Parts: sequence; structure tokens; C-alpha cells
Amino acid sequence: MRYDCIIIGGGLSGLTCGIRLAEKGARCAVISTGMSALHFSSGSIDLFGNEGEGKIVFRPFEFLEAFIGSNPLHPYARCGSSRVREALFYFRDQLDLEDIDLYNNDDANHFHVTTLGTLKPTFFSQRSVFNEKIRLAFEKKSKIAALNFEGYRDFYPELAVINLKRNVLFRNIEISSGKILYPDYGDPQRNPFEYRSIDIARIFDTERYLEDLAAQIRTAAGDAAFAAMPAFLGIINFKRHHQLLQQLTGLLIYEIPTLPPSILGMRIDNALKSRFAALGGVYIAGDTVRGGTIAGGRLESVLTENGGSSALYAGSFVLASGSFFSGGLVSDFSRVREPVFGLRVYSHAERSKWHAQEFFPRSGHPFLEFGVETDERFNPLTDDGQRVGNLYCTGALLPHYNPIREGSGGGVAVSTGYRAAELILAGNR
Amino acid sequence: MIKLENISFDHCIKCTVCTIYCPVARATHHFPGPKQSGPDMERLRIKSPGLLDDSLKYCTNCKRCEIACPSNVKIADIIQSSKWRYFKKTFRMRDFFLARTDLMGGVATRASFLVNFFIKLFPVKFFLDRFMKIPSERRFPRYAQGTFRAWYKKHRKEQEEFAEKAVYFHGCYVNYNNHDLGKDVITVLNAMNVGVIVTDEKCCGVPLIANGYIDKARKNALFNIESLAKSATESGARIVSASSSCSFALKHEYPNLLELDNSAIFDGLDYITRFIHERFEKGNVPAMKPVPIRAAYHSPCHLERMGGVMNTIEVLKKIPGLDLTILHSECCGIAGTYGFKKEYYKVAQKVGDELFKRIERAKPEIVITDCETCKWQIEMSTPYRVEHPVTVLARAIDGKKL
Repeated sequence: MRYDCIIIGGGLSGLTCGIRLAEKGARCAVISTGMSALHFSSGSIDLFGNEGEGKIVFRPFEFLEAFIGSNPLHPYARCGSSRVREALFYFRDQLDLEDIDLYNNDDANHFHVTTLGTLKPTFFSQRSVFNEKIRLAFEKKSKIAALNFEGYRDFYPELAVINLKRNVLFRNIEISSGKILYPDYGDPQRNPFEYRSIDIARIFDTERYLEDLAAQIRTAAGDAAFAAMPAFLGIINFKRHHQLLQQLTGLLIYEIPTLPPSILGMRIDNALKSRFAALGGVYIAGDTVRGGTIAGGRLESVLTENGGSSALYAGSFVLASGSFFSGGLVSDFSRVREPVFGLRVYSHAERSKWHAQEFFPRSGHPFLEFGVETDERFNPLTDDGQRVGNLYCTGALLPHYNPIREGSGGGVAVSTGYRAAELILAGNR
Repeated sequence: MIKLENISFDHCIKCTVCTIYCPVARATHHFPGPKQSGPDMERLRIKSPGLLDDSLKYCTNCKRCEIACPSNVKIADIIQSSKWRYFKKTFRMRDFFLARTDLMGGVATRASFLVNFFIKLFPVKFFLDRFMKIPSERRFPRYAQGTFRAWYKKHRKEQEEFAEKAVYFHGCYVNYNNHDLGKDVITVLNAMNVGVIVTDEKCCGVPLIANGYIDKARKNALFNIESLAKSATESGARIVSASSSCSFALKHEYPNLLELDNSAIFDGLDYITRFIHERFEKGNVPAMKPVPIRAAYHSPCHLERMGGVMNTIEVLKKIPGLDLTILHSECCGIAGTYGFKKEYYKVAQKVGDELFKRIERAKPEIVITDCETCKWQIEMSTPYRVEHPVTVLARAIDGKKL
């Protein structure tokens, strides 16, 4: 089988790349081992949230101008800041076509709230997490009610309230907590303690219970202007249900991403796959690329687990297989390796230097900065030093940036995926 | 003693992604989902089989959990094998008959008119429902008179004259119920200058596995591996199957679930549309007449698991005049013999509900799918006729009415 481009990895980076290529008429296939890390993400897209050791970046593009000059190996530097901007807004437009509005705060970062009640700076969020009305209500110091479904284990509003109160931004804001009962939908078999976010989402993907829920929210929220709840608005009809519920309650309904699986992240995943398919892209799920044939500085074909000995051919390949979590990088006792092609990896030789002493160090863990070494065109080197000219590495697989410390994972995935697509398209012209 | 090679459940990171994509967990809260029934409970079951939880019987073995798993855990395999490793073996007449598709077919095809007539009668349905626990709502596939193999014997000569040949694993459905599909396979492959060889075969084992007859499934598997490998080596041919679940069993259930070495046939075996698509790509496209019909394509779970859906779609796209809608991938619910059991019937229909609605919305004239049991389920639950992609292709080739 032959494609113009085969993308290994069906996450944020791989799908952004695939959408761009497919839109320009390239025949693309994405091969993905299972569902992507979007299922474990907040559903907001970070660009650059923290500089140095925990200092918040408020205007990320302004910050990047200077940052890029002093960090030439950083993936953003390899893209260039204007291209990063182009990629992010392209991404937003594509999601818009799939009916997901991503809001940004006039080029500035905004915060999204975590289940623990901490704040994370981010660049794009879904409407139920950030929009003009939320900003306005927050500026007016309106009262917030943090509500949970009775028995739901992945969110503890009392804990979130304690943490929020510690934050200077919430010092003069009144926050209460409260509980909502699941609607009685005639299935007594299951204990509500067993519900995960997806179970709640499924209950509310039907409209039947919205009125009952609205009444409960009104009572539990008292005189608050916000009802902050664990993300529950479903994956299919969330936009309509969000609007309906706001109308019925007269409150701003605010969704807090819970992990895992993340409802907010799954919406993005759904939208990207749907867009890719609409453009004629082929998404091969549940298969794993085992290796490929590299000759004369080019990757000719790849072999997959299901395909056995019959190879898949393409003019260009993108490796967007993620970091350690997604299996794009593997750590053995003494070294870090890239398992598909055995590409050259940047890491520390000494294992004790892979991680910091604390679990949540402000400086971040060094292993998060490991990855496949590439040139400025994101082409990697094989273990014996041969450059692979038609293979592009993107996303969490890349080294020299720290997604956790910087708050930059989403932006790097999107902009490097987009950049790889542009390089491939330019090469074909 | 825990076998070290059997600890794929230990790679589970408890992310719950499999449960999100489980069609059964979505349809009923009685099933706690693949994560809990599979890797979670497996730890307990290994400790003490007394901790076995009945609810895992709700699993249909559709494999959508394995497609979703980011950590490569063979979740459905863990659940399936638990069914026969831990449950006490009790003989159930119904399960015995449902599992022996070849035995039943062998008898029924001798007097198919009588069987097809009687099985529709109310007293028979009542009896099956009441005493065999086969729901009276369930429609049975019709049996054919005689077998496909008997028909093929008469045409073997002409097939052997082709220079290139393919060994065709026809499966029980073609042999006992739908000879036409087998003939369509021959029409299509012949039009591409490929002769069709049929060799000795037994039921692939899918219904045996589903009903816990593992020893019998292994026996059949060993027979099939040997027979297909021998025939393929003799004629230098590839092996094809036009049933997505048979192909899946031959290729993946044999090594993963039955723990048998199928390397002798693994690389040579294709689901039919992959075989056809590869030849199409090389320019071996037969002359086709337009098939002006609006069709909705449903991708069966096991073809999804094999990664073969794109081949079927690409092949269908080559048929002139075919107005094709690709349905969002959903399980139809029948899962082989699962939907024939009274205790699961409602769940099966609820699983399929989303697919049936999507078919309605697509407003097709026919539905196309690769799997015979999906066909039975969709024909029973929607007003549409269901055809195999190879049948549609055969009509484009021979110009007869679809």
C-alpha cells in the first residue's frame, strides 16, 4: 500500500499534521497504537505558561520573541515564532469547522482550574472553560459555587476550594461548595461511586435530565454567579447542552477537566479525527509500527504488527509517537531509546541525572527534555549517524523543551506537527 | 503459577480509555467494562478463582477495547480466556448448537426448505425461546440447499487452469447459507485472472471460542493451519477469506487467544479486500459497469481490529456509480452468537441502536458490510438489505442486477 505521507501517532501533533496535509490534497494515513494522550489532557492548549522556576508568562508570543534567541534548540525556535502563531490559529480554525470554539484572551494567557483547585496558565480553552463572560464575572469578583455529583470520586470541591482560597487571585472571591444528586434514570444496579467522567457525560449526552439538573444546580449554587463542576457535558451535544444549562440556571456553567479520561480532551480528539476523515485521511487505529526500511537517507516503508510482512510505503513519514507515556520513547536501565527506528536520542548518560530529587520539582524533571535529536527541519539521525531526509519528528517526541515546567506541550505538538506538514508540502512542490 | 509471558494485564495503567470505547459498557451498567473485567479482575482471578465475577460474560469479544488501549494490553483476550479458564464447564444444549455451525449446517442443508420453514413457525419459536433461551424476536439466517463445496467440486477444473491462484477459506456461512457469496468471490477473482482453490477446512473457531469450546477450537485451528498452509505452499498461492471474523480468527485469535503457532499462514493470509486492493493498486483492475445505488458502508469490529477497513473502502470507491456513505464505526451488537442468547438479546440490540440510527439517517438503498453476522443483525433491525463488498464488486463486473 502506498500513501503520500504516513504519520505514526494519532495524537495532537500527528493529527494536526495530517489535517494540514490532507487539506492540501495529500493522501495521508495515520497509524495509532490505541487512543492518544489527548484522553489524559486538560482539553486546553498551552503555548508557554511558565518561565524560569514557576514565574508565569502572561503574553506568550511577546515572551517567545526573546526566548527563541537564547534557546536555539527549543522546538519553538526551530519553527520560528511567527510560524508558531500561524500553526496555533490554523489549529483553532480547524476545530472551529468541527464546532469547537477555542477562546483565547486577546493573545494573553488565561488560567484554567484543575481538580485540585490550582491554576494553570494556558492559551486556548473551550467555551465552558474560558470566554469573555467568564472573564468579566471573575473581574467583578462574582461568587463561585464548586459543585460535585454525590459519590463522584474524581473531584473534591472542598479540597479545590481550599487551594483556590490560597491563591491571591481568589482572595476576595467568595467560594462555596455543594453537591448534586445523579438523576434517577432507572438503573439501580450500579453504585454512583463507580461512575467515571465518561458515565456522567453519557447521562448528559441526552437532554432528558437537563431540567432536573438545572433545578439542582440552582439550589446548590445559592446566590453564586458561577457553577464550577467536573467536566460532564458529554462529547456529542456538549455545546448545545452548555448553552441550555446556562439558560435554565441563569448561571455560568464552568467545566473543570478531570483525569482520566478527560471529557474535554476527548472532545478535541473527536474533532480532530472527524476533520481528518472529512478531508479524506485514513486513520488506522489499534496497530503499531514495528520498524521500517531506511536506505540512502530515506525511509522507504514501514511494517506494522497487524500487517505482518506486507509493508506500507510513502513519500514522507512523520513520527509523532509521543514521549515515554505514549511509548514514543522507552527507558531501559541504562539508556533511553526510540523503539520504532532506533533513532538517535538526546539524554544523559548517567541515570541518576534523569530525574530530580523531588516529585514536583520547580525546575522540572530532566527526562522530560529527552527526545529524538533532529536538525532544524525536524529530520532525525539513525543510530549510525545517517540523516533520514523524508522522516519528520514532531510533538512530545522532541527534546530540548520541558512541557511540564514550561506549560508548552500543546503548543509544541501543534506547531511542530504543522511545521512538518509545511516542510513536506514545500518538498513536494 | 503465573506464566511470565502472560502478564500483559500488568501493562494496564488504569486509564479507563477502553471502557469509554466499549459498546457493551455503554449499553448496560451490568457490564463494568473491559478494564475491570479484564486486567483489574485478572489479578484477583489469578490469586483465587473464587473471586471470579460473572459480569464478564457480557463481553462480546468485539475487540474495540484493544483498539483503544494505548498500552497494548490484550484486554479482550484476557476476558475471553477467563470465560473458559475459570467458569465451571456445564453443558448447555443451546450453546452447543450455536457453537457447532458446521454440524448444524451439515444437517440443515440436507433439507433446507423444511428447516427454513419450521424455524419461522410460532410454536418452534416459542419452544426455542422458552426452553432453549433463544429469543423469539431473533431472525435466523436461511440455510441453502446443499453445500458450496459440492457446487465448487463441479467447477474445480476450470479454476485450476488459472496461472495465478488463491486459496479460498470460505467458512461455514458460505458453505451452508450463502453459496452466492462464494460464487461472487470466484467471479471477482477470476475477473482479475486469479483462480480460486478450495481446500479442506473446518469452522474457523469463532463460535467455539465464544461459547467456551476451546479444545475443539484448538483442534479446528490446527487442522486449518495445516490444511491451508499445505495448499498454499503447493500452489504458491495466497490465502483469502471473505469473512472478516474468520480472517481475524485465522490470523490473530489463533496465536493470541488459542496460543497456537500460525506463522505458516500468517503472512500469506489476507482478508479478501486487502488482496483485491493490493492488486488494484498495481493496476489489475477488472472492467466494471456502473452500479448506480446509494449504499451505506458499516465496518465490522473484527475488521477494524485487523486494520482492514481502509482496503474495503478503497475497493468500494473504485466501483463506478456507487454512491457511498461511510458510517461512523459502531458495533452492531450481534457479536456472532451473543445476540442469539436470550439473556443478552436486549443488550445486543441496545449496542446496535446507535448504528441503526446512523443507517436511517444515511437513507441508503442498501447497506454494505464485510461480516455475515453484522448482516443478519442489520437486516433484522433495519428495513435495509445488506450486501458483501465482494458481491457489489461482482455485480459491477458481471453487470447483473444487485
